[in-house]
Amino acid sequence: MNDVPRLVPETGDHDTGGFFAAAAREELAVCACAACGAVLHLPRAYCARCGHWGTVWRTVAGRGRLYSWTTVEHQVHRAFPVPYTIVLVEPDDAPGARLVGYLPGRPELVAGMPMRVWFEPVDDGGTRLPQWTPDV
Amino acid sequence: MSGPPDVGHRDRCAISGIGATRFSSDSGRSALSLATEAALAAIADAGLSPADVDGVVRCDLDAVMHNDLAHALGLPDVTYWGVSGPGGAAPGGMIGQAVGAILSGQATAVLAFRALNGRSGARFGRGAAGAGPGRARRVGGGGKYDEFFAPYGLVAPGHLFSLLARRHMIEFGTTEEQLGHIALACRARANANPAAQMVDRPLTMEQYLAARMISTPLRLFDYCLETDGACAVVVTSAERARAGPQPPALIRAVVQSAGPEPQVGFLYPALMRESLTTQTSKAAAATLWRRAGLGPGDVDVAQFYDCFTITVLIQLEDYGFCAKGEGGPFAASGAIDKGGSVPINTSGGHLSEGYLHGMNHVVEGVRQIRGTSTAQVPGAEVCLVTSGIPVTTSALVLRRG
Repeated sequence: MNDVPRLVPETGDHDTGGFFAAAAREELAVCACAACGAVLHLPRAYCARCGHWGTVWRTVAGRGRLYSWTTVEHQVHRAFPVPYTIVLVEPDDAPGARLVGYLPGRPELVAGMPMRVWFEPVDDGGTRLPQWTPDV
Repeated sequence: MSGPPDVGHRDRCAISGIGATRFSSDSGRSALSLATEAALAAIADAGLSPADVDGVVRCDLDAVMHNDLAHALGLPDVTYWGVSGPGGAAPGGMIGQAVGAILSGQATAVLAFRALNGRSGARFGRGAAGAGPGRARRVGGGGKYDEFFAPYGLVAPGHLFSLLARRHMIEFGTTEEQLGHIALACRARANANPAAQMVDRPLTMEQYLAARMISTPLRLFDYCLETDGACAVVVTSAERARAGPQPPALIRAVVQSAGPEPQVGFLYPALMRESLTTQTSKAAAATLWRRAGLGPGDVDVAQFYDCFTITVLIQLEDYGFCAKGEGGPFAASGAIDKGGSVPINTSGGHLSEGYLHGMNHVVEGVRQIRGTSTAQVPGAEVCLVTSGIPVTTSALVLRRG
């Protein structure tokens, strides 16, 4: 077993905190412009498309497609014993956003395969990390 | 004068001096010491003395500040300094800043340098986020955006470039063996270069394919050589360079680019760009070729930033040496080899000479223009030199004067 504490996301950032606040409620939310609706991911406060200040956290369904992946075989970080697999997922209903996920081992993956989100507790304080797993 | 205003720097400055330290896995010296040695060599090569240097440009990740180097060299003053980046995207932009400083009258002889103990000191491949003792378990925040990447084990540059490589395979059917041809081409050039760390280590396709996987689909030899060392160049006006002891390498054109869709941060946010297989190098190329009044067909030899093999493959496409998606077959065709249509990385590159964060590519580009490379392309007159991707990039075209 790996006894090195894992890396926990900072959840109090002005621009990105809402993502993790939603995750703590087991909801997947992306930042979107309150005026024109553009998805602003990575989250930020200003919409350069329409010039509007003001964003909302839009809850999305938590389904997506596998865009790319890599299975890490060479140990880099003590918190992540190899092998493990990093997935890059495009949520179905958040155009322009890509989200990252972690899968243990060397799963069989196919480009474009359906993925679904789940929420992994990562500390004792209620922080949860949106994770993606093949939806089969 | 006619034509677009951004050709105003064409051929008006030159690289008149080059210098490098030994490349090793453990220099046993400070980065400042390495920078000083490379800078002194470049200044002497240009036929100048430290008293002639009045500008210093650095990479944002360098531990050595402009004033550190000025102090170490005993410069009388520094009237211009600049910084480019992030990281490996810097060198082309550093040369561009030197050109801008000279043409605007802010300096007359500008040092651009990169010094690092990249193997014995802090290693990029070890990952930046929270690896050491005492580092906070919480990652990201404060505009870093690491909170979207590091908690998932996406903690090293190779992980990002592996995602790019996989995506290229998905979209275009690129193969691991095609990536291998890039590793082999760089290694073969290194085998002729006594300064290359891999000078005595030939590489076959069988060895490449049998090497251990680091992060799929990239193997050991798809990764560059983290290195201790330094490189430096001296930029002056073309006129002053012509009065120097070396044939001037005219700076035909420079470019920096953050497009399309400029991204935040240092590395991982580039995964949000609409395409992962077309990079900032595409936007950079369009500007660079316009500024140079040249195109890929005019290039005799190229030094492509090669932190990984996939980095080269994407740039071959983005700079127009082949169509998008055809980088794999192009690399396997022999085009990038000695005698090919665009021989690449003639010193061995990051993959087999050393990872000096793009600055050894500038030095080798000058050698090609001078005719002094250990893998000289006969009659080379135009050399493309590129710097890192993916968040931003930069590049330059050198020409025989």
